[in-house]
Parts: sequence; structure tokens; C-alpha cells
Amino acid sequence: MDNKDNANPTILTASELPTRQIKKKTPASADDAKFADAVSRRPLFLSDPFCDVSWSDGTESEDDFVEEPIDEQEIYDLISNITDPEHPISLGQLAVVNLPDVEITPPPSTPCDPNALRRVLVKVTPTITHCSLATVLGLGVRVRLEQALPPNYRVDVVIKEGSHSQDDQVNKQLADKERVAAALENDTLKGVLDKMLESCV
Amino acid sequence: MPPADIESPSTGATSAVKLTALTPFKPELYDRAWQSIPHPTLPLIATAHEKSTTVFSLSTLTSHSTLSGGHTRSVRSVAWKPNLSPHKLCLVSGSFDSTAGLWRWEEEKKATGDDLEVEITGASANNDDSSDKDDAEKDWEFALVLEGHDSEIKSVAFSPSGQYLATCSRDKSVWIWEDVGVNEDDDEWETVAVLNEHDGDVKAVAWCPDSARSGRGRYSSDVLASASYDDTVRIWREDGDGEWVCVAVLEGHTGTVWGLQWEPKPEGTRFPRLLTWSADQTLRLWSLKEEDEEEENAPTQHAWGSLGGIPNTMRRSLKEEWECTATLPKAHTRDVYSASWSADSARIASTGSDGVVVVYGEERTTADSEMSQDEAAVELDGDVQMRNGNDGKAQGPPPTTWKVLGTTDYGHGPFEINHVTWCKRYDLECAPERRGIEEMLVTTGDDGVVRPWQVS
Repeated sequence: MDNKDNANPTILTASELPTRQIKKKTPASADDAKFADAVSRRPLFLSDPFCDVSWSDGTESEDDFVEEPIDEQEIYDLISNITDPEHPISLGQLAVVNLPDVEITPPPSTPCDPNALRRVLVKVTPTITHCSLATVLGLGVRVRLEQALPPNYRVDVVIKEGSHSQDDQVNKQLADKERVAAALENDTLKGVLDKMLESCV
Repeated sequence: MPPADIESPSTGATSAVKLTALTPFKPELYDRAWQSIPHPTLPLIATAHEKSTTVFSLSTLTSHSTLSGGHTRSVRSVAWKPNLSPHKLCLVSGSFDSTAGLWRWEEEKKATGDDLEVEITGASANNDDSSDKDDAEKDWEFALVLEGHDSEIKSVAFSPSGQYLATCSRDKSVWIWEDVGVNEDDDEWETVAVLNEHDGDVKAVAWCPDSARSGRGRYSSDVLASASYDDTVRIWREDGDGEWVCVAVLEGHTGTVWGLQWEPKPEGTRFPRLLTWSADQTLRLWSLKEEDEEEENAPTQHAWGSLGGIPNTMRRSLKEEWECTATLPKAHTRDVYSASWSADSARIASTGSDGVVVVYGEERTTADSEMSQDEAAVELDGDVQMRNGNDGKAQGPPPTTWKVLGTTDYGHGPFEINHVTWCKRYDLECAPERRGIEEMLVTTGDDGVVRPWQVS
């Protein structure tokens, strides 16, 4: 397989992507059955036994003064718009990032000290197994979240198990604060990242 | 999250400590700061942040001077050159731009008397701040660039005498530079070794302190240790012919080894232990298995068994056997980025990604006879031979237990803490008779804050 390019990635249409809006109808493609299922219902964490806050999909709060905990959907929204470095397509559409692969600990519904750390774990699924850009994809996700989230969030980005042949190596790089900091001072890499993140508002 | 219940130690030597945040150094740096290194003798501390180094006065807790313009990328680490004559400062900065810069500050002749001393102790209240600062910035000279590494320099360290400088990099190598100038400020440095045995970024280097130590076998007394992204630590010695060889590989950590420090004041004649800390959230202590000289040539194969290709320079008899003799109680929930071992109190402080600051103390497990202070002092002055009359005692370290003496959560609010160091207090809030004696901690964080902590 060509290392550099995946000529025919599977692309999801915008309506197939998870969102907070209630979908009246879900496209029932066989491939996406599981995925669509997750989309059509409330995100899984809302049925979590630890979740005791009332939730209303319809009344998206416009009130900036009421602080709502950041949930998995919000994390997903922050990263799904990142543009793939090789295709003019978003990571959400390429299913590189997926809502079920976003995990927050402790869960957003657990109240705690505002300084208390929350760990955001994002498992990314590179489009091809030998994707040399896996690190860049992961880096884009990490950088985007570190820029957008409050400082008590610790972002861990890993390659989803089995989706990439050099998982450990990539994961270790992505977890290394010093390497990430240095990468952002590398003009070439920074250029690629800026382009990926251009599409994030 | 850190454990809620901290064991409270029973003896006085390891009594519980309380950390109280003091006012941070001014001005705050706003962006990520990587580390703050106290001057070995003067009340100064140098903080690496962005592309510069800011030197703070420990007396006024304000900025003393700034070293900027020498690097095109972030400065990751700094080291003060030791053993300089008064009124001279020399600092090396290691940068992501893959170079190390050597900076000098020399008190101008125009200056009257103890100007440097006056300024750093903050007694020059008659000068207004701005003119002070202008002078200061003028007086740091970017004297020399050390080029050679292929990628980011992660750490720089001077040997105890100042003769050698070690630098290490993402390029997996450790470089040793020697000061070959006739005069102190000749700034002639030569590369004497490039050590290429690590399989990953070399994150940190540290020289063994001079105290209570002599050469070993055919080796000279300089000992260097390096910590790596390959999860190992390596120990290096000079073999007497100018060849630097790896004498031990310390394996045990299950993540990047972020840093290491030698025991500042080993007990009696024992060889200093090595403290290492890691992305695996642990801190470990390693001890040299000290043997009689005769036994040193005995074949002990296993330390090298898993290594495969051993360089020619590494004859079997040259290797040392090191073992992990303690793992500090687990108190961190994420990467441990930094730790500091106090020469005064022998306590260890650690910090990291979880923003927790932890202080540990060591306690003897058994109540065996302690070496008298006098005896220890005699041996520390270096005149007594290393194993002289102590063969019986030198067999392995006495059993000890490490305990958590105190922890503080959110040391820098929600931010990660990149560095912690013990250092002496000289500030006005410290009682005058305690200045230069009382110890405090200084932490450096992603929030650009450099914060002193009272330890009581």
C-alpha cells in the first residue's frame, strides 16, 4: 500500500456526523449501523449510571454565564473539523476521530474542584494502517484540544488499538510534552498543523 | 488523584512537612517556563523560558537580568558554571535550536566595589528599577555558541570542577565538551566525546558530585549519567586515556526517564546513589554494587546479557553493577517531570504533569549504630581513601524506607509543573539569621510562574 496517500478514503457526509441536534432520521447504511445508532441517540455517557444531571437536547444554552461541563460531544466538535493533511476533508468525515472514542475522566457530570484535573483521552483511527501521517494527525488533535480547553484538562491522544502498525511509537511521541513543544517550533510542521487547524473556528 | 491518606512518619528526621506558597518571582513570565536553576553560591536563580533565560534575585524575588537574543527557539535548560571567581557569572543555555550558548557576565571596572554583590542582594534600593535592568541586560555577553547536535538540546550540565560540560539532545547523543582555555574567559571548548548508545532522545544529563568519592579502578573521578526516552539510564566514565565509556545501563523504568540527580551527600564512604524519575509516574533510587577491587574482575555477565553489541571499548571488567534499591512511594498520577534531592535535609521533592508537589524523607528501617557526624565529616573532605577500613560496611546500603512527608495539590493551579528545586532563602521575609541557611522549594510551571515555597 502506498504509504503517503490513501486515494479512496471512506467519507462520511455531514449529516452522518454526530451532533447535539436531534436527528429525525438516521441514514441506515449497513456499514454505519453501529455508528448511526450512536448518532441517533443521546451520546452514550448520558445513560451512564453516574450521570444524574438532567439534560435537554432542545434547549442548547445560549446563556454564557451558566457554566456547563465540557462533554464528549464538545470535545468531538473541537476536533472533528480539523482538516486532514492530505485530503480537503475533515477528520470527522474521514472517521479519524469518532465520538465513541472520546473519553473524559472523571466524567463531565461529576462535580469537582475547578482546578481538578480532567483527562481527555482521544483515540484516533488513521485512514491507513501504515499512515506515516499518524503522528501529525495525533499532533493536530492534541494541539487543537490544548489550545481550546481550560488548563486543567490533560489531553492524551493515542492511536486506536489495531489501526496502526507502530502504535506504541506514535503514542509515545504524542505523549511527550517536550517533543510536542519542539514540534510546534518547527516551521514545516507548524505550517502543516496550521493548515489542518485553519478549518476549526 | 493523589492518595488522600498520607502516612505520617513517626521520627523527627522525617517529620511531616507543610508547604506554604510564597509570593512568586516578579515579573511573571506568562508563557511556559521549563526550569529554574539556583546559582551554586550566589542568591540568584536562572529560569529558562521561551527563547530566553531570566535571572531572578533570591533576595528581592524580582528579575535581576535577562539573557535574550542568543537562541532562535526555546531555551530548555540552563546550567551555572561552578567555581568562578567573585564578580563573574557564566551560564550555559541549551536550546531547541540545537545549540548551546555560553554567556558571561563580568562586573565592569567602572563599577565601584562590591557592585555585583550589592545588586544581587537587592540592597541597591537607590537605583531605580529600569536603569538597573538596562545595565543588567548590557552586561550579559553571549560569548560562544556550541554547535554540533542535530536536533533539540534537552539538558546541559557542568562537571563539579567546571572542566567539562555535557549536553544531550533528541538526536540520541550526549556530547562532552572540555574547557581547554588557559584563562577562564578564553572560551575555548573542545568536543572530547560524542556518546551514541541511547536508542532515543536523551532527556537529561547529570554529573556525579565530587564529595566522598575517588576514581574507581582505572577510571578518573568524573562520572556522568544520562536519562533517555528509551526508558533507560546510562552511566559513563572516562577510562584514563580520554575515552568515555558506558559502564552501566540501568533498566527498570517503563516510560521515558525525564531526569536524574546524584545523591548530593552520600552517607559515609558510600558511592552516591542515583535518583531517576519517569513518565511511568515513579521515582527510583539506584545504587552501585560496591565490591572489593579484587572481585571487580570477576565475570558477572548478566548486566550486559541483553545488550547484544557491546562496543570494543567496553571490556567486561570495566562495567559496573547497579541495582534499583528503592522506588519512592507512589504519589503522582501522571508523568514525573522533575525532582530535587536536598544536600541539607536529604529530603526529595518531586512534581510533574499532575501539578502535585511531593516531599519525601528517608528513614532507617533498622536501628543499627549510626556513623558519628565526626567520622562522616572526615570522610567527606576527600582525604580518606574510599574503602579504607570500611569494607564491612560498604556491602550494600543500610535498609531504609522512604515516606511521603507532605503533598500539595495544584501547586500552580490547574497547570503542569515542569520543575522543582531546593534552594536557599535570602528574601526579606526570612529571618536575617536564617538567610542563606533556610531551605525552600522553587517550582516552575506552564503558567510562566516561578513560585517559592516555604517548607515547615
